[in-house]
Amino acid sequence: MSTHYPALIIVVPLLTAVIVAAVGWINKKYCFPLSVASLAASLLSSIGLLFEVMKTNGEVVYRFAGWEAPMGIVYNIDYLNSLVLIVVTAVALINLIFSKGSIENDFPDKEGVFYALYILFTTGLVGMVATGDAFNLYVLLEIASLTGYALLGIGNERSPLSTLNYLFIGTIGATFYLLGVGYIYIATGTLNMAEIALIIPKLPNVGIIKFAFVICMVGLFVKMALFPMHGWLPNAYSNAPSSSIGLIAPLTTKVTVYIMVRAGITIFTPEFTFEKMHLDKWIVWLSVIGIVMGSCFALAQKNYKKMLTYIVVAEVGYMVGGFWLGNKLGITGSILHIVNDAAMTLCVFMAAGIFSYKIGDHISDFKGLFKKMPFTMTAFAVGGLSIIGVPPTCGFFSKWYLVSGGIEAVKATGSIGALAFIVALLFSSLVNAVLFFRIFEVAHFEPFSEGHGHEGHSAVEINEAPLGMLIPFFIVAFSLIFLGIFSGDIVSNIINQFIPVLPAGI
Amino acid sequence: MKILGWLTVLMCGALLIFNVSEFPDMGDANSPANSKQNLSEYFLKKAYHDTKVPNVVTAVLADYRGYDTMYETAVIFSAGLACFFLLRIFRKKGPKSRFYRHTPTGVTLRIDEGGKLPEESDVFKRIDSIWIPHDNIVRITCRLVVPFIQIFALYVIAHGHYSPGGGFQGGVLLGASIILIAVSNNLRAGIQRMSEKGAALMGSAGVLIYAGTAALCLLLGSQFLNYNALAKLLHIKPVVARYNGILIVEIGVALAVMAVMVWIYYNLSSAGKHDEGL
Repeated sequence: MSTHYPALIIVVPLLTAVIVAAVGWINKKYCFPLSVASLAASLLSSIGLLFEVMKTNGEVVYRFAGWEAPMGIVYNIDYLNSLVLIVVTAVALINLIFSKGSIENDFPDKEGVFYALYILFTTGLVGMVATGDAFNLYVLLEIASLTGYALLGIGNERSPLSTLNYLFIGTIGATFYLLGVGYIYIATGTLNMAEIALIIPKLPNVGIIKFAFVICMVGLFVKMALFPMHGWLPNAYSNAPSSSIGLIAPLTTKVTVYIMVRAGITIFTPEFTFEKMHLDKWIVWLSVIGIVMGSCFALAQKNYKKMLTYIVVAEVGYMVGGFWLGNKLGITGSILHIVNDAAMTLCVFMAAGIFSYKIGDHISDFKGLFKKMPFTMTAFAVGGLSIIGVPPTCGFFSKWYLVSGGIEAVKATGSIGALAFIVALLFSSLVNAVLFFRIFEVAHFEPFSEGHGHEGHSAVEINEAPLGMLIPFFIVAFSLIFLGIFSGDIVSNIINQFIPVLPAGI
Repeated sequence: MKILGWLTVLMCGALLIFNVSEFPDMGDANSPANSKQNLSEYFLKKAYHDTKVPNVVTAVLADYRGYDTMYETAVIFSAGLACFFLLRIFRKKGPKSRFYRHTPTGVTLRIDEGGKLPEESDVFKRIDSIWIPHDNIVRITCRLVVPFIQIFALYVIAHGHYSPGGGFQGGVLLGASIILIAVSNNLRAGIQRMSEKGAALMGSAGVLIYAGTAALCLLLGSQFLNYNALAKLLHIKPVVARYNGILIVEIGVALAVMAVMVWIYYNLSSAGKHDEGL
């Protein structure tokens, strides 16, 4: 079966989603085990695929329907694909196990359909990451968007409006990408990413390609909520149910950043992206503004979930800026941050899930939580420290690479944008420290007041989250430290193998 | 803000128009999309040889790029799921008062809450609270048209290999025939023909036929979606297996599209209550 890993990763969840949707009408009991089994199978195949990629030294090719590259759809799985595939499937699996209770609670009549949508969303993301065909990517983007709207729109009473807003903006973003793919096809006559990359340097006239590049990138920026296009994200995410936000918040923006990296390096080739376009400096500036504004907005929030959504906006700035620095360290940092940020965001949103399940979303409700929920708060503290970027956790290491990339860019070209990027990174780390230590302070030092504050601290009883939530939460918190310790290995064995030789002089 | 929006739209439009000047001429035989070493030429020359399907569009859609089409079917299925998930309200109680029509005399009865409801039969038919007068012409005409629509739909599905058509179009026609019954009578008449559960299960079954056929090829030792593998199972030549494989997946597409169309109509027209609708 090992030759079929690229297909299995996607086909097993797709088939299961369809079966789960049907089984939900007959016997709801089987939906959850089936869903978990399919995502576990997908995770195992993506791990197997990574080893396969290492064995074949860089590329596993899978031809769907048996057709060769330009005619049919072909997957070219390399180090970057397989790394992000593992992240996507692992996050989806852990969050599904974590949210079992809240799913049963929130959607008693529609459980089967929820699981089907959940797995279809994961299928869409996995397919986007695995594919080697520019149009196939769009089809899977459609699946992920459509199911994502459904998963977000079922939250509190304000979620339908905020999701409708997201639907309009997200559709524009996806359409821009599709338009870009159409332009590429007009200019090159193929949709296969590897072939496009071979044809682009030979084209006599790159006018259309330039336009295709700009319109693709704008579409992706809208989808990933880079600063001026981020308007849809905070409301859509903070009004959503916690079971779906744990899936969507860590993955959607990161997968879109992955597509940007893939488009910049594999489709358009690094020479074109960084040398011919002359856009890199502008986009670094954009991400600088995004980081600063995201952090400032996060400071202004009193609602924990809403604060997290602005942190997500700032983190998108990290990854985009790191990539557009255009040197090896910056791109390494950007890719490493895709992995780390997915884990970190999952961790803090899981905490949000537990908080809104037990107490509420407002930071002022968190009084005395360290006494009341010691285990939850320990794992949450790890997540918070990682987002701040404190050394043993993984957040530190990707920030380290991003800052080193910035320093290198300043040394090489003396660009002010890169300098501003470093400053913005440090500023945002400081703001994150303020944000999370504010919560720690409220949760640790302010007594649990409501009604019985006068009885003193001893009156607070331990009231922990259920074990089914705590265990996945701890796995994620542990993985933050694990990813931090092994980040050197991830970089040297996987990420550095992917990054091609970049053109000199940028 | 409004002016800013207008400016952005105008700028995007101007950019798009400006870029048309970079395009190859219309029908240019040497443009990249048409030139010899690329796809169009290959498909026109080899598609029939590879798949025995005279309609090149179908060959590309269901075989060369069949993997995309499978996901397009999944997109339609997710649309059905999304509508159900967001809109459906499983309400235990009906509306306050119900309306019934006594068919032989054409008299309409209103029964308020707590009143005794007549049994559903040919004599007493429940009607919507916003009811229109009994109109035999519309109802009978629609009933007459429905079988022809369905026959034509089957023709479109089966003839996708030779002429424009195929699963998506045929499925839409089939779905439209059920929706026509629901529109010309009322929502309940449609649900009697195809229940909600039936529509949901059929939608799943349609996608399952497509993805299952593809996975079967994988289990038989070939690549995913490589219909050649079916030849062993059906005892036919590999090329003919491709031809038949395309037909099987088209049927799956048609089933999924029909069921999802009907399902979405039920949810949209009754705001998820499945009680009274258009």
